[in-house]
Amino acid sequence: MKDIRIVIVDDSAFSVAFIRNILESNGFEVVGDAGTLEEVKNVVKEKKPTLVTMDMTLPGTDGLECTRAIHEIDESIKVIVISSMMDEEIVNEAKRNKVCAYIQKPIDTDELITAVNRAMAYDELYDFLKEEYFAVFKEALIDVMNRMTKTLITYKDEYCSSKEYESSGVAIIIGIIGEFSGRMILDLSRETANNITTAMFRKEPKSNDEIVAALGEFANIIAGNACSILNRKNKALGLRLAPPSVLSGDSVIISAPTFKTNTAIAETNFGELLMNVGFSRRGAEEWT
Amino acid sequence: MDVKYINPFIESFTDVMPQLGFDNVKMGALNTKGNEVTGSGIIIVLGIVGTVRGNVVYMIDTESAKQIASTMMGGAPVDELDEMANSALSELTNMLTATAATCFSNSGITIDISTPTMLQGVNMSINMTSEQTVGVQLLADDIPIEINISLED
Repeated sequence: MKDIRIVIVDDSAFSVAFIRNILESNGFEVVGDAGTLEEVKNVVKEKKPTLVTMDMTLPGTDGLECTRAIHEIDESIKVIVISSMMDEEIVNEAKRNKVCAYIQKPIDTDELITAVNRAMAYDELYDFLKEEYFAVFKEALIDVMNRMTKTLITYKDEYCSSKEYESSGVAIIIGIIGEFSGRMILDLSRETANNITTAMFRKEPKSNDEIVAALGEFANIIAGNACSILNRKNKALGLRLAPPSVLSGDSVIISAPTFKTNTAIAETNFGELLMNVGFSRRGAEEWT
Repeated sequence: MDVKYINPFIESFTDVMPQLGFDNVKMGALNTKGNEVTGSGIIIVLGIVGTVRGNVVYMIDTESAKQIASTMMGGAPVDELDEMANSALSELTNMLTATAATCFSNSGITIDISTPTMLQGVNMSINMTSEQTVGVQLLADDIPIEINISLED
């Protein structure tokens, strides 16, 4: 595991020493401590920790105000609350403030170490997915197109953004769910949709239903193959697919999602095909 | 499709909307459709996997969507569905579906939900995989939202 720099926030000298001892004897680096809001801000700016342990009751402030102040400085810092108080209301309040774990005092060593490891592993897993997923989806599209239509495709453009765009006429949407949730969209014109379906069936589709069914399955196989490869690379991802929805309409705008997505434009024998994939970090808030 | 899959969505709507500033929550018509849902305005699709699998499609006409976004943002006027308003609407469907997931789990059905995908357009038609879709019309302060549920065991 990479270097983890920890700051301890607690107004009790005994607690600071106690937590420091647990963390240091388990190989973590404690880079500072704080007991007031001002001290928290200063030590976080100066020491740039990866993780902060947070007491809830502090003189003149509380753990949640301090957590918000930390995330204003750097959103990526993980906060684990360690408090003598623990009930549903306060835990929910902590979740809303993007705390990643809640531990009750007296501190159980294993519980604290597990929480630290889990908080950091989650980050690494997301980084892994972010690095890997788009190449895997692009490869899956090439492979599935080749196997289902015996043709090759080339990617002519590729970009990472979270902007809205206008559909070319038909969009196939597949929700992806696992440790992180996301979605894949394939977007193409009606003509391209018709051409691809003809190539897959080796004859003109009889009805719109046939086109919808063929495209849904085509998208399902691409996303399914891609997610299987990602799951094999790291089984903690546990990615699964919702069934495809096939949308068509006039001047349909696909709105910008709240997370970054990757888009590739593929040149195929049947016309242009857009693939858009993205995953959100949201899963992080789902702890109990 | 089993009608018992509808109740968690109604329960969730009744529970969530008042928290967002809508005082009056009512249920309108319920209708069954085939595998196709049509409409204009805003469509938001979320995927579902777990004990049951499928999609839920929220449909709101553009004017209603503006009113809902406005109420969610504390009454600030929304003349256009900009990024902020869209993000509020996406978040709304995310909350509604996540709360429905909790209601499902209370009856022993475990489901997870995907991120919402939001679309805007006219004469949109969306095809789902299940044979049957149930549409539920729900009203928050008389603003209609249609929730289309397509789930299979």
